[in-house]
Amino acid sequence: MQKIPSFLDSAVKYGALAASISVAGIFLFLFLTLFSNSIPSITLNGLDLLLGKIWDPNDGVFGGLPAILGTIFSSIFSLGLALPLSISISIYYTEYAPIKIRSIISTVMDLLAAIPSVIYGIWGLWTISPLLKTHFQEPIAATIGFIPIFSGPAYGLSIFLASLVLTIMITPIISSLSIDIFSKTPVHLREGMFALGATRWEVCRKVAVPFAKRGVIAAAILGLGRALGETMAVAMVIGNSYIWPFSSVSIFSPAHTITSKVASEFPESVSNALQFSSLTELALVLLVISLSINLVADLMLKRVEGGG
Amino acid sequence: MHHKLEVQNLSAWFDEKQVLKDVSISFPSNNVTAIIGPSGCGKTTFIRCLNRMHELVPGARVQGKVLLDGRDVYKDMDAMEVRRKVGMVFQKPNPFPNMSIFENVVAGLKLLGVRDKKILSDKVESKLREVGLWEEVKDDLKKSGTMLSGGQQQRLCIARALAVDPEVLLMDEPTSSLDPASTAKIESLIRELKEKTTIVIITHNVQQAARISDFTGFLYLGSLVEFGETKKIFESPKNPLTERYVTGRFG
Amino acid sequence: MDPRKTKELFIRTVTTLVSFSVALPLLWIVADVIIKGMPAINFEFFTSLPAPFGETGGGVGNAVLGTLVINAMSSLIGIPLGILTGIYQSEYSSNKKVYSLIRTSIDSLAGVPSIILGLFAFTVIVMRVGHYTALAAAFALALIMIPPVSKATEEGMRSVPIEIREAAIALGLPKWVITLKVVFAVAKGSVITGSLLSFARISGETAPLLFTSLFSYYWPTGINEPMASLQVLIYNYAMSGFGEWVTKAWGASLLLLLIVLLINTVVRAVSKNNGGY
Repeated sequence: MQKIPSFLDSAVKYGALAASISVAGIFLFLFLTLFSNSIPSITLNGLDLLLGKIWDPNDGVFGGLPAILGTIFSSIFSLGLALPLSISISIYYTEYAPIKIRSIISTVMDLLAAIPSVIYGIWGLWTISPLLKTHFQEPIAATIGFIPIFSGPAYGLSIFLASLVLTIMITPIISSLSIDIFSKTPVHLREGMFALGATRWEVCRKVAVPFAKRGVIAAAILGLGRALGETMAVAMVIGNSYIWPFSSVSIFSPAHTITSKVASEFPESVSNALQFSSLTELALVLLVISLSINLVADLMLKRVEGGG
Repeated sequence: MHHKLEVQNLSAWFDEKQVLKDVSISFPSNNVTAIIGPSGCGKTTFIRCLNRMHELVPGARVQGKVLLDGRDVYKDMDAMEVRRKVGMVFQKPNPFPNMSIFENVVAGLKLLGVRDKKILSDKVESKLREVGLWEEVKDDLKKSGTMLSGGQQQRLCIARALAVDPEVLLMDEPTSSLDPASTAKIESLIRELKEKTTIVIITHNVQQAARISDFTGFLYLGSLVEFGETKKIFESPKNPLTERYVTGRFG
Repeated sequence: MDPRKTKELFIRTVTTLVSFSVALPLLWIVADVIIKGMPAINFEFFTSLPAPFGETGGGVGNAVLGTLVINAMSSLIGIPLGILTGIYQSEYSSNKKVYSLIRTSIDSLAGVPSIILGLFAFTVIVMRVGHYTALAAAFALALIMIPPVSKATEEGMRSVPIEIREAAIALGLPKWVITLKVVFAVAKGSVITGSLLSFARISGETAPLLFTSLFSYYWPTGINEPMASLQVLIYNYAMSGFGEWVTKAWGASLLLLLIVLLINTVVRAVSKNNGGY
């Protein structure tokens, strides 16, 4: 009687342990695999992969700088737009919104976050791009087109469009987290400020914002991480070209990010070993950046919850 | 006798639940009025209606009149102005943790737009002296407000409330979370403050009410049972319910 | 007007406008997908294979089936692994270092961009097998499912009240029974929620499929071969520029959006009713 339960106990325990260790191991395995596949590129391309401006598989030249810059620019641009939007939404949610509206906002955020990237892509490609081109980019090019970053032909598919789409994609995530954080402001501190005759905005600014600051930054960093790794929507609207930033600095030019480069060139790279290795190394660079960003955000969020 | 604050037929609800039933009280100026009653009788809700804090809760509703010097606090004034004139000290001391002692005291003044450094530091000194905290913290004004003991924090909160020169000060069980020594300090402070301010204090400690208040109102299950001079309420209450409560036979 | 009140009104107006305008993209995308996708939807759409490039007609039947098959395979791998990991972390992990290590690994896995998971699956499976295969897709998508399912399981089990555990222990039940039949049973709602949400999530994942199951213009005949999917179809057809195909892409988007939004809405509504299960 004693043996059977003990056997099952071990079975469950070690089965669960085995699963956990495999999962933990997979992550390590992933890293090592990518790294080993990048070695040809690391040795043959050297720093050129990170700093080179030209990518030509036929000549064996693999410079990834435009793609790396594309990733950095589009992510920071979209964060720069998404963060004020998310903070505004959090303030509205916690200070002004009636309860029924609050649940509508939560639902809208959740649904926006659930829309598949490829659908953002087709919408960006076939609905927004033509509209953006005619009603935004062309007027701008006509009026202030002498400014370099707005110059040149108004392509619809551009790093500008990619950044806009990314903004819409990461705002829900940052907003949801920020709302959570703002909502945790202790009630007795808010009441203390109200009792002094403060307006809702003053209570928010003087009590809620200092309290929420660190958490909102962490949320922003998480949103940034999401933008960095976003593939499909970006690949479908960015134009997939190395024109930006070295042939034209205009944000209305087509460009590449690491993800769009890897996604679009991957099929042809299976026959070119160095090309494949170079794309893998670019992916590795992205992985390292993403993980560092997530680590920073995690550390900040942990300090928020611990310190309160 | 002039009544600074007059409450007429005040009723209050949280959603469907009625917490205050038709309460009418007149608060004499420059006197301490205590509101006593067992837990859940509506005392806190009552004073939160006086400075329009009750309405901050979703689903809260108020009916009746609250007059400050004859002006209807709900219809003739906006909430910000009311709260500046009718200050509040809370049960649990709540100094702002991200602000220094100095900044805590002047928090209300800064909202009013006062920026002059001399005016602010004079105010800090005079208010901290008033609450008897100046000698204890004068060298540590830049330290965070939360570094102080419970009693000191509460006195800091009183200084903060006084800094905007309110006409009425509402105190919601201000000493219930403090030790006896701090309690004594704050009680003597209250006796001094009434010369300049009208004070309404909620307490579940009937001895405290007897010690420091001039007038007392007894609230039970949301209704006012009896109101009058403290001496009369304690020595010869008219209502048997009042008598049972103040002699400690229930609640 | 008092400058403080002006500021208050300004902030209130701006934040209100911003919050309401965020609903705009949602409504626009949904409306667009419906308006542009409806024309493509008919019986043939669900049941036929794609017509050759340049011709009208045909359908996306193989992609619908493909998505279901790939999702099913991924769930078969990902959900049990996620649950087992969550159970271990919640019930058996006593050593702090081991717990942290597993926790960090799972969190890191969750932070890996899905395109990289696709590249990984390509490297370890497709390259070894010598051809694109839906099995590799199942592997990559399972890796996406594991962290959220694991987290939902762990949190669900941890939040089971200690009184229930103690009652089971007091009855003299062996640990494995307590873990599986008592605690896990109570946490089931959380586990189901997490699993359904990750199912919806992988339905939308496209990048990994480009490296693994790729695409096919035929009905699936086995799981160890390239397979069509709605996601990759949308990508290929939308980018093709061919009007017929773009319309089909919108139709496929409508289908995909419906599935994903339906699962999300139902799951959230049910979990609210159960008190946040």
